[in-house]
Amino acid sequence: MSVETAGPSRAARQDAFFQALCFSAAMVLMATLAGLLIALVIGGWPALAHFGPKFFISAAWDPVAEDYGAAGPIVGTLVTAGLAMVMALPLAVGIAVFLVEFCPSVLAKYVSMAVELLAGIPSIVYGMWGLFVLAPWFALHVQLPLFYVVDPDSFWGHLFEGIPNGANIFTAAMILAIMVLPYIATVLRELLLSVPTHVREAAYGMGCTPYEVVSKIMLPYIRRSAIGAVMLGLGRALGETMAVTFIIGNSHEFPRSLFASGSTIASTIANEFAEASSDLHVSALLALGLVLFVITFAALVGARLLIGREKA
Amino acid sequence: MAFNRHLFDRHARRKLVNYGFVGLTMAATAVAVIALLLILWSLVANGLGGISLHIFTMDQPPPEMPGGLRNAILGSLEMCAIGMVMAVVIGILAGTWLAEYGEGSKLAEVVRFLNDVLLSAPSILIGLFVYELLVRPLHGFSAGAGAVALAFVATPVVTRTTEDILRLQSNQLREAGMAMGAGKSYVIRAIIWRASRPGLVTGALLGFARISGETAPLLFTSLGNPDLSFALTQPMGALPTTIYQFALSAFDDWRALAWVGALLIAITVLAANIIGRALARGSHQS
Amino acid sequence: MNFDAKQADVGSVILPPPMEQRVLDVRGLNFFYGKHQALFGVDLPVARGKITALIGPSGCGKSTLLRTLNKIYDLYPGQHAEGQILFNGENLLNPREAVEDAPPAAGLAINGDNARLRARIGMVFQRPTPFPMSIYENIAFGVRLHRNVSRAQMDEIVETSLTRAALWDEVKDKLDKSGLSLSGGQQQRLCVARGIAVEPEVLLLDEPASALDPLSTAKLETALIELKQSFTIVIVTHNLQQAARISDYTGFMLMGKMVEFRPSGEAFVRPATAAMRDYVTGRYG
Repeated sequence: MSVETAGPSRAARQDAFFQALCFSAAMVLMATLAGLLIALVIGGWPALAHFGPKFFISAAWDPVAEDYGAAGPIVGTLVTAGLAMVMALPLAVGIAVFLVEFCPSVLAKYVSMAVELLAGIPSIVYGMWGLFVLAPWFALHVQLPLFYVVDPDSFWGHLFEGIPNGANIFTAAMILAIMVLPYIATVLRELLLSVPTHVREAAYGMGCTPYEVVSKIMLPYIRRSAIGAVMLGLGRALGETMAVTFIIGNSHEFPRSLFASGSTIASTIANEFAEASSDLHVSALLALGLVLFVITFAALVGARLLIGREKA
Repeated sequence: MAFNRHLFDRHARRKLVNYGFVGLTMAATAVAVIALLLILWSLVANGLGGISLHIFTMDQPPPEMPGGLRNAILGSLEMCAIGMVMAVVIGILAGTWLAEYGEGSKLAEVVRFLNDVLLSAPSILIGLFVYELLVRPLHGFSAGAGAVALAFVATPVVTRTTEDILRLQSNQLREAGMAMGAGKSYVIRAIIWRASRPGLVTGALLGFARISGETAPLLFTSLGNPDLSFALTQPMGALPTTIYQFALSAFDDWRALAWVGALLIAITVLAANIIGRALARGSHQS
Repeated sequence: MNFDAKQADVGSVILPPPMEQRVLDVRGLNFFYGKHQALFGVDLPVARGKITALIGPSGCGKSTLLRTLNKIYDLYPGQHAEGQILFNGENLLNPREAVEDAPPAAGLAINGDNARLRARIGMVFQRPTPFPMSIYENIAFGVRLHRNVSRAQMDEIVETSLTRAALWDEVKDKLDKSGLSLSGGQQQRLCVARGIAVEPEVLLLDEPASALDPLSTAKLETALIELKQSFTIVIVTHNLQQAARISDYTGFMLMGKMVEFRPSGEAFVRPATAAMRDYVTGRYG
């Protein structure tokens, strides 16, 4: 009898302890995110208080004069990420559709693996490849020819203005596009596979061609979640640091053309934070971090609301 | 007959559009595959020639001197190892809480969501956070801070995989364990964890793959160190930070070393990814 | 109770409609899911303007047979059919084969083109499958695939199709509402309307009432009987009363074989084979 009364109570104590342990681990996660936010707010506050709303509008970023305006990096971040999505989305749709509808099953395994590997390559490798392979190629085969063909005073001329070294906003977006491509393609593929068989069969059963089935039935069917997938990719593109730092050219100028060098929030922080000596400079960089956090958080929340968790 | 004629034209056009579409999807896939091959080729072409024993036995050199990457490789290993231990402990416990104790609770919903946010949060922000948390208060860059930053990056990966994997275990297994009179925590540790072991290993490998190439969180935490150091309180070299420094330098031999480092990292990360996913597939099928 | 092959082999009685009435003629069809054979030398003559019902216990191959008629199984690598499915003067399974006595061509050669085939042999599935668009668009979508139609013509087609599917009165005021907003029975009739709007010659129905309540089922059956004025219908059903009520011919299948094929009246009153007798009297559920 004594054993039986002692047994359960010990097990119960063990259970309670273990549960508390697991719970604390979960709370560490929460505390991390909360701490992240608090650190950015506290750290960035002096700069935000000092410059006020001007911080977001001004394009001056001058560590020597201690004048900091974030418009350049903020616009650079939005433009590179947005361009990257424009490039990546059609490709991702193509890959997902190919894998789900057209790819022979023998080949599908290898294509999926290639996509997974593309997602696994570290961003610093993308950065090196962008800087040493893509940028020179782009300068030689795209920028220079355009240089000779396009009238510099025309609309196109202004759009393509820039030093022909391949390190610019456009090539940064290209690298970002390749980086987010596998994430979007994978989610889209899962979504396409989730279209009920009977809907797909019904569409084929009416004599639709595969193109019509995909474009008129399946893609509309997953539209909502697909937008979520795009935002997930966008979140990644917005916060990507190393690859962009390598190739964007790191200029604080407000970007004026597609082939101008520029900067993003992440690349500015990566470049300057370790070197920043004045308190205001450090604070301005932390405030930039806060802006980045808010933007990516918004994209991720949007993505989460639009896609169910399982497919994200 | 006119109707048929009409049908034929329309039909031919639809067929043509369809072929065009199939072609486009193939082209998109080809772009991705070619990009992968180009990147891998650049790594091999630029990095393979530089691999020698010196890479593993000599520390990173001053410009235009012979040298290797020993300090960076060992530094990366040390910080990744410490970071992974922290991430695995916290991640598995947190994932267990979500899967086994958080059922239906609002708080679990919130934790789950915040974990997803952390999973996709820009890693450079983690670097800033750890700087504010450890580097600034302790007045100095340190390998310990670097390891903590890496842990924060890997933990959400481990948490997420752990929760997913534990959810795959059937409730009968839990009930059977409880029916034998075992306490819940004992059932989890002795039965559920054991049954999920391949999946848990996958989670750890994916977390490792994620952090072994991470550069941004290390830039303002472990900083980098040209000399071999194992001290957690001192700045420490790491492959990604060394690659970053060398690749952007003006010296050819530094750049060559950067390619070697990039190749080593890519091999490590891709291997961890492939093994992890293969394990996951194996456990799903059984 | 299990069937054994011996019993299934006892007698096979086929009383097909005359050759000249057939619009679709299946001969000696074998079907495979990978290596597993599901149909064994099945014959199915389908008479124009009639309702042909396929019955049999679950797993007997009746749905499989139906799914060969518009080659929908083609979506799945690994599934394949051998034998003859004769339609429009050709063998759908082998367009290049010269067939003497096939039902004559009534339009363009199909020539292995599934999209063209499925425009002429429509299908309604077990579960209602409205597309994620409005009721109107659900019907217009299919029509637009095949021809150019003015807005006025399209309105007329939509109304006619919905009327024939006995749905018009229930939806005429909400044509712009999503097809998914309808009840299950209405959704299924919408799918029928969608199927007939493209004017196919043959309409295949795979257990169309299995997910419906009795009232919806009755409405659907009424619609089908009306429809055979203009279309040939092949319906798979597990509901014997339904088959008896609406069909002109009944094919009884067992273990991948066609055991009995006869005009429905006689088939149900006096089954010719022991297997069908057992099935009709409910011994196999």
